[in-house]
Amino acid sequence: MKFLPFVLKHLKRNWVRTTSTVVAMAVCIFLFCTLQTVLREINAQLESANAARLVTRHAVSLVFSLPLSYGARIQAVPGVKSVANTTWFGGSLPAKKEGKAEGDASTTDWSSFFPNMAVDAEPYFAMYPEFQMPPEQYRDFLGDLQGAAIGKKLADKFGWKVGDRFFLESFIPPYRKSTGPFEFVVRAIFDTDTGKYPGTDTNIMFFHFRYLYESTGRRLNAGTYTVAIDDPNKAGSISKAIDGLFENSDAQTHSETEQAFRAGFIAMAGNLALLLNSIGLAVSFTILLVTANTMSMAVRERRTEIAVLKTLGFPSALVMGLILAEALLLGFLGGGVGVFGSQALMWVIMHSPAKDMLAGVGLSTLAIKPAVGLLGMGVALVLGFAAGFVPALNAYRSKITDMLRTV
Amino acid sequence: MSMVDVQAVRKVYRRDAQEITVLDGIDLQVPEGEFVALMGPSGSGKTTLLNLIAGIDRPSSGKVIVAGTDVAQLSESALAVWRSRNVGFIFQFYNLIPVLSATENVELPLLLTSLGKAERRERALTALKVVGLADRAGHYPRQLSGGQEQRVAIARAIVADPKVLVADEPTGDLDSKSAEEILALLETLNREFKKTIVMVTHDPRAAERAHTQKHLEKGVLKA
Ligand SMILES: Nc1ncnc2c1ncn2[C@@H]1O[C@H](COP(=O)(O)OP(=O)(O)O)[C@@H](O)[C@H]1O
Ligand SMILES: [Mg+2]
Repeated sequence: MKFLPFVLKHLKRNWVRTTSTVVAMAVCIFLFCTLQTVLREINAQLESANAARLVTRHAVSLVFSLPLSYGARIQAVPGVKSVANTTWFGGSLPAKKEGKAEGDASTTDWSSFFPNMAVDAEPYFAMYPEFQMPPEQYRDFLGDLQGAAIGKKLADKFGWKVGDRFFLESFIPPYRKSTGPFEFVVRAIFDTDTGKYPGTDTNIMFFHFRYLYESTGRRLNAGTYTVAIDDPNKAGSISKAIDGLFENSDAQTHSETEQAFRAGFIAMAGNLALLLNSIGLAVSFTILLVTANTMSMAVRERRTEIAVLKTLGFPSALVMGLILAEALLLGFLGGGVGVFGSQALMWVIMHSPAKDMLAGVGLSTLAIKPAVGLLGMGVALVLGFAAGFVPALNAYRSKITDMLRTV
Repeated sequence: MSMVDVQAVRKVYRRDAQEITVLDGIDLQVPEGEFVALMGPSGSGKTTLLNLIAGIDRPSSGKVIVAGTDVAQLSESALAVWRSRNVGFIFQFYNLIPVLSATENVELPLLLTSLGKAERRERALTALKVVGLADRAGHYPRQLSGGQEQRVAIARAIVADPKVLVADEPTGDLDSKSAEEILALLETLNREFKKTIVMVTHDPRAAERAHTQKHLEKGVLKA
């Protein structure tokens, strides 16, 4: 297009202004893309939760556990299909890979943190069609007290194969034993159908609660119970019935759908996201003002120039188009830099130790999805357009003779 | 036939409730190939009349026929096209576009034509040669003197080969030597290139270079 050099020359001449506007725009789009990516990841997690599963936890806090006797009593509630003790172990690999730690807490290697749960394996996996593994591996896992079923992502991360051994040590005192870390044998590797169950994370490990119970020699309780129910529509009444059972006991319970449970679990993250989103919105608005200011300054300075172009026979629509093109180009540059910057940040995080911390809370993959990148570019272009529209329209409407009259 | 034919033109500006009659029944015929100087005191309506002839403004009443076209009859966009083909405008303050080089400034009107890039360049250079600035083709306006800027502006006005040149105080911002060069250039364009020129000025020495002089006073033309 023969008018492009004309537009570029204007941006180049005011390069300080152009650069600062592009940088401001880039920061805005950077925030937008990064937040959107994290939010989408969190939402995908929420959506993967199944409404036909309840989580029963201590009414006060997740920190407190529930008596093992509750399992059978929950099972007896009408509408409950099955119950599985689901206890977050909080284990991590000892720094010394060979294990046999000296009983020293400082041997924990935090950088390779991943979620690991002690469960009643049989009912648990029956409730989770998401997790698929070869039947013979599942059988071996059930038959081995030290057996571990690990997700595909986890297996890939550490290069673990069936038969490999590893050690985990919990930071939660009751789950530690004097003889050192727990030894596990990989017996099964499960994967998921991401088409059918998007958002299901296989960066996770399960092992037998019985192993934990017997090894510590303590009378351990259950962290939470996962409860499968007949009818998702009755989730509310069944939850009430379960909590009603323990109303008068020392350990009262709070039951909710898995979805609500996860939502609560990441509510803090959610609140943070809301906060960041509001900041993002405020920033976007500021950027709009900054860009609009840039454009109206650019146009005001160029009153005479616009009059000259029109005098030479440039149609008003073309003059308007040139100004809009300039604003859109600012948006395009800012958007491009912002999207690229966001992707770069995520790449850096995903290639740094922080990756494992994020994986620990379920954010095991962070990358800008094409939809988010496009949306970011779209927002940048819309901002550019919005900023350029009024000055461009003024240029379109203005009369040559008015603009040429030197005031 | 007249190249410029202004018939009973009135121009009234409305400022709030107040009406100001700037041009009050103007008749002016400029034959093809003529070089007219339009004189008069400041505020007498010279620029207003010139703008009407150049087709960047419309009369309140009366007719403005330039190069055979009744300017007031054209739509806004048709008028823009007509201007690009028929009129070259020379401003007092040159009004070059600062981010563009001399050649690019001169080339600007040609962007509206279907000419290819190479041909646009070539024509722009030819126009610069005519005004004697071929050696400054790559210079930017801030690197040129006032007289040189005005010569680039004249090259821009003639590059699309219009029939009529209108100039609003083209020497008003120049020292006498540069002014002399500009006037000589306009004479050449009139004599050699057969351009019809309407030039507004209040400098009697500038007006002497034209074939005829018209005096505007309080919105009325005097011989
Ligand atoms: N757009 C306008 N609105 C109101 N008054 C105008 C406008 N343009 C010109 N005038 C008035 O018309 C008169 C003539 O102006 P102008 O043609 O510029 O005079 P000259 O060029 O002879 O100095 C002046 O009094 C000026 O204030
Ligand atoms: Mg004037």
